[in-house]
Amino acid sequence: MSPDELKQMVEMSGTINMEIFYWWCTAVMILIHAGFLAYEIGASRVKNALASAVKNILAFAFIIPTFFLFGWWIYLAMPNGLTPDFAAAAAGQPWAASMGPNLADNATGVFWAVFTMFAATTASILSGAVIERIRISAFIILAVLVGSVVWILAASWGWHPSGWLTMKWGFHDTAAAGCVHMIAGWFTLGVLLNLGPRLGKYTADGKAVAIPGHSMPMTTIGLMLIIVGFFGFLGGCIIYKTGAQWVTIYNTPATLSAFAFNTLMGFSGGVIGAFIASRGSPFWMMSGGLAGIISVAPGLELYYPPLAFVLALVGGGLIKPIGDLLENRLRIDDAVGAFAVHAGAGTWGILALGVFASGYPHIDAPATSLAGQLGGAAVMAALGFGSGFLASLGLKKFGILRSAPEAEMLGLDATELPALPYPESVPATALPVAAQLAAADSPAGISVQGA
Amino acid sequence: MGSPISTWEGAQAYFTAALSPGALMFWVALVAAAVIGAIVHTVRHEEKSVAAVRNGDRG
Repeated sequence: MSPDELKQMVEMSGTINMEIFYWWCTAVMILIHAGFLAYEIGASRVKNALASAVKNILAFAFIIPTFFLFGWWIYLAMPNGLTPDFAAAAAGQPWAASMGPNLADNATGVFWAVFTMFAATTASILSGAVIERIRISAFIILAVLVGSVVWILAASWGWHPSGWLTMKWGFHDTAAAGCVHMIAGWFTLGVLLNLGPRLGKYTADGKAVAIPGHSMPMTTIGLMLIIVGFFGFLGGCIIYKTGAQWVTIYNTPATLSAFAFNTLMGFSGGVIGAFIASRGSPFWMMSGGLAGIISVAPGLELYYPPLAFVLALVGGGLIKPIGDLLENRLRIDDAVGAFAVHAGAGTWGILALGVFASGYPHIDAPATSLAGQLGGAAVMAALGFGSGFLASLGLKKFGILRSAPEAEMLGLDATELPALPYPESVPATALPVAAQLAAADSPAGISVQGA
Repeated sequence: MGSPISTWEGAQAYFTAALSPGALMFWVALVAAAVIGAIVHTVRHEEKSVAAVRNGDRG
């Protein structure tokens, strides 16, 4: 074998290893969606269990073609802000040579797949918060917006080798706490303001009423599946370079070992923080595991593991009070605590990097700093909240945001789907529509808010 | 349509219709139409379902 042949063989082995790595990251990330599916089914009442599942499945299904049509193009086109770079984005046009089977391009397909999974994750974050009253059609539109437009625009700005947030401000967010979790969490808050709470969530005098889901074990298992899937997600946040050290999305060096230390320490700190804050609620504890990882995600390759644990402890401890603030003070019905976990811990994580990991150098960009992280967090929050609020306001104006009260009371499964979740073991829990409407008119009746 | 290559020697983008921009745009447009059509279908299904509940045909 000649030296050239040997070199070619080594390079091709590296290229194929890269493909294998991202292929399995994609597969593992699908567990995130299996987790969200179980989580939302369990968090729903029996009468809505399948509608929640269908909504989650459809989010996944609609994100894939729309991310192919325009999501990937947005990522390549928009790193400078709102002015597209058409030359750089040409490879992302859906009819480009790289957007299909191509023997000269082993990378685009697997990178597109990983990014599509990130996109579907943002839609799943929205999905849980709006269960039991959003129209499936409205949800699909909002899911496509957050998954195939908004988050990827944010990623182009702050999670891209040439994104303007990094090039101008030194913004650093290795594992996408900003563009995925902050964007999805703040987007969700904007939607919830227009959607309103579930019927019966608040009494006439404004007190929150607990609406427990029908299966806490399923919700808890779902959250654990999300944690498993998170390892695929985080694997997708590091760049494989044939014959060289791993790098972050910013081309700064990193290792999977660093990710391993801080992911596990983050999970642990988050669970314990939420355990303390919630006095042992399994729902908040598992959510705390997510929040812990999100809290350390921006500096996943930088933190000393005990520091990551402490940051996650704080992040996990924050989510229950944030959830309570939304539910009891602001009267916002976030059915699964999505804002608290994703926007709360995401914002904390972005800012924490500025406090505890400032001064790290970038390649051809300012070093990490608190000011850069503050600016980046503000952009992410504004972009997420603004787009979610405006889009859902538009749907509300057209009267297609929220299910009809009759459908909500009867249950979305019986109204819209040709199936029941437990036809042989659990009777339908919904009262006849007329009886529920009569209850709504009673002195202690339920409040009807939203679209 | 069909294969854009007649040999694997030197082949790069070899997917169906790879050398036909018009055909590629047709398939892209079809995907876009299917996505939009599915959303419109969902809206109509929801409206019919609610009407059925209001008319006493369900529940």
